[in-house]
Amino acid sequence: MQLVAKKKTRIAGALGLMTASLLAGVGASAQTGDEPITTRPAPVSANVQGNQGGTDFDDDTYTDEGMIRIDGAVLVYQEDDGRVQAIEPVVGITYNFEDQSSLSLKFTADILTGASPYGATPWSQTQNLVDPPSTGASGSKGTTISTTDVPPDTLPLATGFNDQRYTVDMAYETPWGEGNTASISAGISRERDYKSFYGGLGYSHEFNQKNTTFIASANFEYDISSPPGGHPTPLSVANGTLNEENRHKTVIGGLVGISQVMNRRWLAQLNYNISTSSGYQTDPYRIVSVVDPVTGGPKRYLNEARPESRLRQSVYLGNKIALGSTVSDASARVYHDDWGINSVTLNLATKIPVTSRFYVKPGVRYYAQSAADFFNYYLVDGQTLPEFISPDARLDKFSAFTGSLMAGYKTSKTGEIYARISRYEPSAKTDTSNAPGYLSNRDLFSGIGSTSMIIGYTYAFK
Amino acid sequence: MHELNIETYVFRAMASPCELRIQSDNPNLLKCLGEVVQSEAQRIEAKYSRYRADTIISRINAANGRAVQVDSETAQLLDYAQNCFMLSGGQFDITSGILRQAWKFDGSDKVPTQHSIDQLLPLIGWEKVVWENPYLTLKPGMEIDFGGLGKEYAVDRALLAAQQETDVPILVNFGGDLRVSGPLISGQPWQITLQSVENHDKRQGVLAVMDGALATSGDAQRFLLKDGVCYSHILDPVTGWPIDNPPRSVTVSAPTCMEAGILSTLAMLHGTDAEAFLADEDIRAWCIR
Repeated sequence: MQLVAKKKTRIAGALGLMTASLLAGVGASAQTGDEPITTRPAPVSANVQGNQGGTDFDDDTYTDEGMIRIDGAVLVYQEDDGRVQAIEPVVGITYNFEDQSSLSLKFTADILTGASPYGATPWSQTQNLVDPPSTGASGSKGTTISTTDVPPDTLPLATGFNDQRYTVDMAYETPWGEGNTASISAGISRERDYKSFYGGLGYSHEFNQKNTTFIASANFEYDISSPPGGHPTPLSVANGTLNEENRHKTVIGGLVGISQVMNRRWLAQLNYNISTSSGYQTDPYRIVSVVDPVTGGPKRYLNEARPESRLRQSVYLGNKIALGSTVSDASARVYHDDWGINSVTLNLATKIPVTSRFYVKPGVRYYAQSAADFFNYYLVDGQTLPEFISPDARLDKFSAFTGSLMAGYKTSKTGEIYARISRYEPSAKTDTSNAPGYLSNRDLFSGIGSTSMIIGYTYAFK
Repeated sequence: MHELNIETYVFRAMASPCELRIQSDNPNLLKCLGEVVQSEAQRIEAKYSRYRADTIISRINAANGRAVQVDSETAQLLDYAQNCFMLSGGQFDITSGILRQAWKFDGSDKVPTQHSIDQLLPLIGWEKVVWENPYLTLKPGMEIDFGGLGKEYAVDRALLAAQQETDVPILVNFGGDLRVSGPLISGQPWQITLQSVENHDKRQGVLAVMDGALATSGDAQRFLLKDGVCYSHILDPVTGWPIDNPPRSVTVSAPTCMEAGILSTLAMLHGTDAEAFLADEDIRAWCIR
C-alpha cells in the first residue's frame, strides 16, 4: 500500500497549520530545563488617606477572600506644651464576599481637648481676648461673650477647648467585567460645629497580564459649618458679633493613576489628583492682630478671612520595593494650590521581619511647604487692609520631620497586633527680622511638635 | 538494487520501547543520532512528567488556584492544546486527565459509580482555565497533562533534532507513534509492521511509508471488562464515561506525528462514527474493530 499526500479538509487542515507553526516556533535547539517559574505578583490595593495626602500600599499579600475582617485601634496624639490632645478610637469591619466583592464599614470617634492658638501675636503686656464660642468650661452657646486674659510674652492660646467628632464610613468594591473593579464610598462626619457629607466613585482596570493597573476616581464633599451662635464677618473687628446662618463648602475632586509592576521586586504607582473647593473656608475662631507699626503692640483684632475658592493639584509617585526579606515604601509627592502653597513630601518606611511572626517598620518623613499668599502673623495698622489674611500655622512657610517606629506581631494566620509611635518636629521658616518693635526676630510660628502613638489589632475569620 | 543497511538504535522512554532507524553504514552516526533522539525524548518526558514534583506540570497542578508563569515551549504547547480543544468542539481536553482518579483501566471489572464521576466533572473543562500567555491559572483541584500530546510531540521534536545533524533517511518510532524523514535512499518506502490488537496474533499487516508520520490510538493494553462489556480507555471529557463503541484501534497517517496523534484520538472519540469522521477528514487511516 502506497501512501500519497491527501487533500486536507476541516480539522485536518487547521491542525496541519497549527502543528507546523508549533514545531517551527519552538527553538530547534533543545531547551535545557525549566525557566524560573514565578507566581504572578499578588494584587496590591492602594488605600488613599486623604488627610496625609499620601497613599499607603497594603503590604500584606495574604488574601481575605470569603472572610470577615475586624480592625480596632486607638490613636493617642499629644502636642507639646499642653496644647491639643486627641484620643481617637476606630473600629472597622470588612466583609469579603465569595464573588471577590467587599463591603467595609468604619466608625471613628475623636475626642479633642487642650489649647489652640487664637491667631493673635504675643505682647509684652497681658491681652484681653474674646473667646471663640466653642471654648469656655461652661460651653457657652454664644449668648454671652466671654473673654480671657492672656499672659504676656507667650503665644496667646485659647484653653479649655473640648470637642468630639464622630465619623461613619462605608465602602463597597466589586469586580466589574474582565479585569475591572468598581467601587463606591460614602461617609458622614459630625462634630458640634461642623458636619461633612462625602462620597466617591472609583474604577480600576488591570491589563498587560495584570502588571499594569489604571485607576480613576471622583469624590464629592459637602460641608456645613455651624459654630455656636454663628459666624463672624471676615475682616470685621473681633468683638464677638456673629451672623447666625450656617455656612457651606463644596468639594469636587478627581484622581487618575497608574500602577505598574516594574520587576519582580518593584511596584510603582503614579497618581495625579485635582480638587476644587468652593464656599466657606475661613476658620471662624481665628483672629489676627493689627499691630502698631513702631511698637508691635496690638491695636485691635480682626477675624481672619480666606478665599471662597481653592484649586489643589498634586502628583504622587510611590514605590514598593522588596530587598532581601524587607519591603520598603518610598514615595514623593508634590502639591500646588492657588492659595500660593507649594509643598513636597518625601516618605520612606521599611518593613523588616525579625522572626516569622514579628516585624519592625521604621519610617521617616520630610515635609516642606511655602506660605499661602495671604498668610501673615499680623497686620500693620495704617496699611491697606488686604482682601484675605490668616495667621494659621498650617498656611505658614515651614518644614517638618517625622520619625516613626512601628512593630507588629502576627497572633494567628489572619490576626495581627501592632503599635506605632511617631514624633513630629516642625520648624518655622518665615523671617520675622522686619517685624515691627516687640515682634522683631521673635519666633511667631504657632505650629508645634507632637508625639503620637497608635495601638491596634486586626483579625479575619470566616 | 541492493538496499543499504538500515541500522537501529533502541532505548526505553515514555513507558514504551523506542527506536531510531537510519540508513547508513556509519556506526558512529547511529550512536550520535541515537543519543540526540534519546536525549530529546528523555528531556520532554522529564519536563512534562506528572510524577516528578519539580516539573512545570507538577507546579501547575499544585498551584491551587494561583497563576503560574510558564516557559515559551510550554506556552506554545498550551496554545496548541487550546486550539485542539476548540477545533474538536471540546472533545480533546488536556484537563480531562483527572478522570483517571475514577477510572483505573487494569483489566478488572471495577467500573466507577456515577457519583465518583460527578465529583470530578466540575474540575474538567479547558473553558474553566485562564490562559493568558505566559500565565496559566487552573481552578484548585484541576490538573492538566500532556499525555495526549507528549509522545507525538517528542517524535516530531526528536526527528527534527536528528535532521539538524544529518541528511540520511531516518525513522523515529516511540512505541508505535513514528515519523520518517522521507523515503529510503533508493526512493523506496520504509516497511512498517502494524501490531495486532489481539494478543495471540503476531502481525496485522505491513505498511509502506514514504513520508510523514503514523500514530495509533487503541485499547490493546488498557480496558475494563464488566458483564461482557469492554469499557475502552477513551473517556469523553464531557460525560466522564468511556466513548461508546470505539474502534479497537485507529491508525492515522499525517505529515507530522502530532497531527496523526490528534486525529487518531479524535477518531476514537467519535466511537461508532470513527470511520465516518476519518472519511470526512479525507485522511489516510485504518480502523480495526
